[in-house]
Amino acid sequence: MLHCHYTTMNIPGNTSGTDVSVLERQQARMKWRQQQQQGLSNDDHCFRGLVEIKPDPGLQYGWPDFSDACQDQLIPPLVADHNLKKRKTHEDHKQKAVSKENGVKDKKIKRCSEENSTETSPKEKPKAVETQKQEYIHVRARRGQATDSHSLAERVRREKISERMKYLQDLVPGCNKITGKAGMLDEIINYVQSLQKQVEFLSMKLATLQPRLDFDIDSLIMKEMFEVPAIGYSSEVANSTYFQVNSLLEMGNSPIDTMLRRSIGGPVSIPETFVVSSCFNQMQPGVTWDGDLHNLYRMEIQQESTTIPFQHKFTGSYEGSNLKMEL
Amino acid sequence: MHTSSKLKSEFIKKWVKGLQICCSSKKNMDFLERKKKIKLCADIALACAKNSTSWSIALISEAKKHDENKTLVDNLLRPESQIKPQKTNHQMCASHKRVRSKKILKKSHHVCQRMKKMGPPKSNIATYIAKRLVKKRTQVLKRLVPGGESMDEFSLIEEALDYILSLKVQVDVMRTLANATEVLNQSDSSIFD
Repeated sequence: MLHCHYTTMNIPGNTSGTDVSVLERQQARMKWRQQQQQGLSNDDHCFRGLVEIKPDPGLQYGWPDFSDACQDQLIPPLVADHNLKKRKTHEDHKQKAVSKENGVKDKKIKRCSEENSTETSPKEKPKAVETQKQEYIHVRARRGQATDSHSLAERVRREKISERMKYLQDLVPGCNKITGKAGMLDEIINYVQSLQKQVEFLSMKLATLQPRLDFDIDSLIMKEMFEVPAIGYSSEVANSTYFQVNSLLEMGNSPIDTMLRRSIGGPVSIPETFVVSSCFNQMQPGVTWDGDLHNLYRMEIQQESTTIPFQHKFTGSYEGSNLKMEL
Repeated sequence: MHTSSKLKSEFIKKWVKGLQICCSSKKNMDFLERKKKIKLCADIALACAKNSTSWSIALISEAKKHDENKTLVDNLLRPESQIKPQKTNHQMCASHKRVRSKKILKKSHHVCQRMKKMGPPKSNIATYIAKRLVKKRTQVLKRLVPGGESMDEFSLIEEALDYILSLKVQVDVMRTLANATEVLNQSDSSIFD
């Protein structure tokens, strides 16, 4: 994680003491990075630029501005009276000067400047210490943007948030057109509120439908699903419900089995199995589901002969096992 | 989605179990009580099914505050809690502490804000307005998501994501169950006609 501790340690005496060590650390880091990325010649330039403590104005690397600017960065740390302002103007110049160069080199430059500019913040220390482990997110400052640690951390944070927002866009329906953060948040709030209200409404509906609280029906169903997997379903039935029952079985839900066996006493009729398996596994709109249900019931009446009623747990709404009906 | 179907089965299990526990305690309940119990059981079951997220832990700790729910919560939590009881306890304590310290921080923050709000921003007013809108909405979202008071913005969005997913699962399950019972009731009534 990017930890940014902002302390104002701009005491000249203090900084001069740490400057050299910072420089050494930077050198170490650049060396390590150079080992990582061999192909680019820029690394050498940058590295050489950093290593040479005495600025060499005569050096021509093909990017004179670059070398100058990079080397210029070295001077302030050694001299105790550096100002952040001064460095920032350097950066500005640098940004203008290197505007013609391609993006990769820009990034290298910016990284140099980033490292140099974040010298006063103690964040530099953990970065240098953990160079080898690379625990911290090494953020590259993008072209034309400020490079101090505050804004970098802000940018990281913002990027994370926008990433999550994108994911939320897929989740919340109807969010594709909205791009702003406030609008997205608005949609999210509305969606969460509507879902919560739906839960309330559905619980109310269930309370009306069931005179008592125990929903033994689905425990019965599930028990049935796991106890009797081998019942031959006819082809019409095995359209989707069968496969879904199978998929549910495959999940390995034996704990349900044992739990339900404790609470329930006897076998149940198959129609309920179909009813709720189709419920739980298919999110079909109500109309087609009812149609399926009719088919299932007709099928079962033909196939099943006896069903043991499960009287003592059901109240008037169910007597469900005696479903010998005509639909 | 495989994970959501897994969550569904977990949720159903726990919900049924919780309802049985509730039913055993009281024999005759009127409509509103039943509704409350159903909803409560559903919420707690959902939170227990998703044991490791911060909002679920907050919900569970919230429910545990009332003594009557305590047995319910413990029973529902028990199967998995062998692995993580200490973790949840610790997290609950941590969240309580966080809530307290965040409240203190909030108060001081409000004071600072009041002092800051003396002058409108000199620079961009549009961004200022946008920021205020976002802030208001995050506050509302914090109230909606359980346990959201003590979260920073990023984790709040993550938790909201997770919460939306689980709410969807809950709504789906409840809706199908309601449909099933409705159809069965209808078919039942048609028998006796």
